[in-house]
Amino acid sequence: MARAVVELAGCTRDYGGIRAVAGLDLVVYEGELLSLLGPSGCGKTTTLNLIAGFVPPTAGRVRIDGQDVTDRPAHQRGLGVVFQSYALFPHLSVWENVAFGLRERRTPRAEIERRVRAALALVRLDTRAEHRPAQLSGGMQQRVALARALVYEPRVLLLDEPLAALDKKLREEMRGELREIQRSIGITTIFVTHDQAEALGLSDRIAVMRGGRIEQLDAPREIYERPATRFVAEFIGASTVLRGRATAPDRVALAGGEALRVLGVNGLRAGEAVELAIRPERIRLAREMGENALDGRVTGVVYQGVQTELTVEIGGGQRLLVFVAEPAPAALAPGQAVRLHLPADAFIRLGPEEAGR
Amino acid sequence: MRLLLTPALLVVAVFAAALSALLRYSVLEFVPGSLQTGGLTVANFTGIMSRQYLGAVWDTVLLSLATTALTLVASYPVAYALARTPSARVRSALLVLTLAPFFTGAIVRTYAWMLVLGNTVVTWPVPMLFTPRGVLVGLVHFSMPTMILLLAAAISHIDPAYERAAASLGASPARVFRRVTLPLSMPGIVSGSVIVFAWTLSAFATPELLGGGRVKMIANVVRDLALDSFNWPGGAAFAVVALAVTMALLAGVGRLTAPADRSP
Amino acid sequence: MLRLAVLALLAFMTLPTVVVVAVSFNPTAILSFPPTGLSLRWYVNVVTYPQFQRAAWNSLLVTAGAVALAMPIGTAAALGLARGRPRAASLWATVLLSPLVVPGVAAGLGFLIVGAALGLLRSRSVLIAAHVALVLPFVVRSAWVSVRNLDPTLERAAASLGATPWRAFRRVTLPLLRPGLLAALLFAVIVSLNEFVVSLFISTRLTEILPVAMFTYVVNYTDPTIAALSTLFIVGTFLIVWLADRFLDLGGVFLHHR
Repeated sequence: MARAVVELAGCTRDYGGIRAVAGLDLVVYEGELLSLLGPSGCGKTTTLNLIAGFVPPTAGRVRIDGQDVTDRPAHQRGLGVVFQSYALFPHLSVWENVAFGLRERRTPRAEIERRVRAALALVRLDTRAEHRPAQLSGGMQQRVALARALVYEPRVLLLDEPLAALDKKLREEMRGELREIQRSIGITTIFVTHDQAEALGLSDRIAVMRGGRIEQLDAPREIYERPATRFVAEFIGASTVLRGRATAPDRVALAGGEALRVLGVNGLRAGEAVELAIRPERIRLAREMGENALDGRVTGVVYQGVQTELTVEIGGGQRLLVFVAEPAPAALAPGQAVRLHLPADAFIRLGPEEAGR
Repeated sequence: MRLLLTPALLVVAVFAAALSALLRYSVLEFVPGSLQTGGLTVANFTGIMSRQYLGAVWDTVLLSLATTALTLVASYPVAYALARTPSARVRSALLVLTLAPFFTGAIVRTYAWMLVLGNTVVTWPVPMLFTPRGVLVGLVHFSMPTMILLLAAAISHIDPAYERAAASLGASPARVFRRVTLPLSMPGIVSGSVIVFAWTLSAFATPELLGGGRVKMIANVVRDLALDSFNWPGGAAFAVVALAVTMALLAGVGRLTAPADRSP
Repeated sequence: MLRLAVLALLAFMTLPTVVVVAVSFNPTAILSFPPTGLSLRWYVNVVTYPQFQRAAWNSLLVTAGAVALAMPIGTAAALGLARGRPRAASLWATVLLSPLVVPGVAAGLGFLIVGAALGLLRSRSVLIAAHVALVLPFVVRSAWVSVRNLDPTLERAAASLGATPWRAFRRVTLPLLRPGLLAALLFAVIVSLNEFVVSLFISTRLTEILPVAMFTYVVNYTDPTIAALSTLFIVGTFLIVWLADRFLDLGGVFLHHR
């Protein structure tokens, strides 16, 4: 049974009239990388700030390693934080930045030497020790920030959108490096991001947040393939929502009359209105007519190198988003007639539209 | 926050105490020949209405207006150069030349003008020293650094892209200036002018030294009353008038410039 | 065309300075330009004139005292302003900067009245108090600009690394404020040294500071002594401003960088 390192119990945080975090319960286990994922304003950064001790909760408790730290100020919590802007001290060299936390802990000189050297080697910046942050590129600054947070072996590593300021290529590189470093040290890590690709690729578990609450807390694959709420289904990955009416526990009739066989969706009662989401990469181009085959007309083609994204209009005016892996089996152009196959086990049932929070 | 501000607020309180003493004295009766005062009276203020004193007020206003206008015209080119020059060295040089007079003090600068205006360098066709003309020159010189800095700050906030856009649409440099730069720098012009006007109203050293006793502005009258005649109440009344007008003007400008203070 | 106009205006702005410096070297007591020769006698006169010596000493004491008080008070105030909510901070800032809008003669007469009532005019205390009040807005403004440019996350970073609030201030905030505080110090010293109008009202012959002594001299004598003293002032100021621009980027304080 994995050990709980960070626990939030019923945490609420209000800013004036705004409730940034509402009654949040969260447990983070030893050695895992947990992402807090959500749109702006969902409360993910506030949650991080609560754990770090930068803001006190309006209600609820924060525990680290079983100890209640709610009333403990930030500088006594022994955590490592990497800020979105890196917050490297501009008047100190890379070395002095990394050594900062050790100096605050009155670590003996020789020990500081050893550890800073090791930390810089870990992030591959040993040659830049004497430089000032302003002389480094964004990617390098980010690595210094990481080294600074890790050098004193904190209990938990907190990362607040650390890759947001980097360009796409660098971001993807750093993602991999970050994961490697985290795995090799085995440090419990909490990662805040609004980028789902990042969350899906890095995390052991993802907490999808909205309006100050956690909508779903699960492994990436579960989040993607079995979204628990409409919000999660629509926020993570792309999908098309099909509206229809159930005719049997495993059959749905769409608005345009097409009949679909649906597997893996529980509790379908004949006659009830239902909304089904399907991921665009699950829909295939078909040749033969058959079960779950729909005819339609291409209305949009967007080439993306790895795949081509099609918009296909079927009966009843419904539009489906379809991802076709390149090289595509057939030529695709607007106006063309196509046949699509929707696998019966690819459907996700969406709950009723939740009121906005 | 409160704790950190307290000492500073105490200092301001001391300053306010000085001003309230001024206010008090302005409504007390002057007893000639002594520093004692009589009872409450508005005689000091009504005394300002007399011809001699009103003349000083009028002269002050005229001189201040003339100074503001001339300073504006003279400062704009320098301010524009300061704000727009691409070369850091030129900007440094301009800044140093602009700021240095700022820092050399009223006496030094005024004395320098005493020399120049007093036929030391050239013999002027018309008398300059000890005339309103001379005082005007001194005042303009005194006000230019302030105006230049304020205008330069305003101009530097104007995105050069606007001027380039106007040029691309066919406007000559003169038209670009008239239709784009000038209007966009108007907030700076207004606030600069009001500030220079307000400060010139209270000018003392320049009219005192360059006017040689013949040019009396409000500040000179205050000093004459307070330090020569020991008429503290009379001087206080005048000073209060100057204070009220200045504060009203600068408060009005403050409201205009406040949004500009928040940098983009 | 613009360049010509700018050069002409700059000449206008610097002409008096040139004249003063030139006249200060004139061997005779007549103010002539260009000077008829080169002599340092007026500089000697400046340095040996007892009233100037006394006034210089007074200037030193008053400025040192005023700046020593104004710097910590002003810096603390700037930090206080930065910590408060923007609305409240704006209000307090206006209060703190208010002495700037008061005419010198009004403040001068006011301090004279209060000083006389308290019987303090014989000492330099009223002078120092007045200078602190006059210099403080400059310190607060410079320091506030500096504080506002501080990245607020730096303090949090220091806290996350284990630094107590005091240590974070000492190791991170203060070093980063240093350039701005230096600029504030500069402003404070120069404003105090050159302060004239208020000081004129509250000085006695024994306590008067240098600008006041200069004023008295100019009103009574017409030899180039003041030219020499002025030149010393000018050279000193130019040096300080040039150094400040070199090391502190004055352009950044006044202009908007693109």
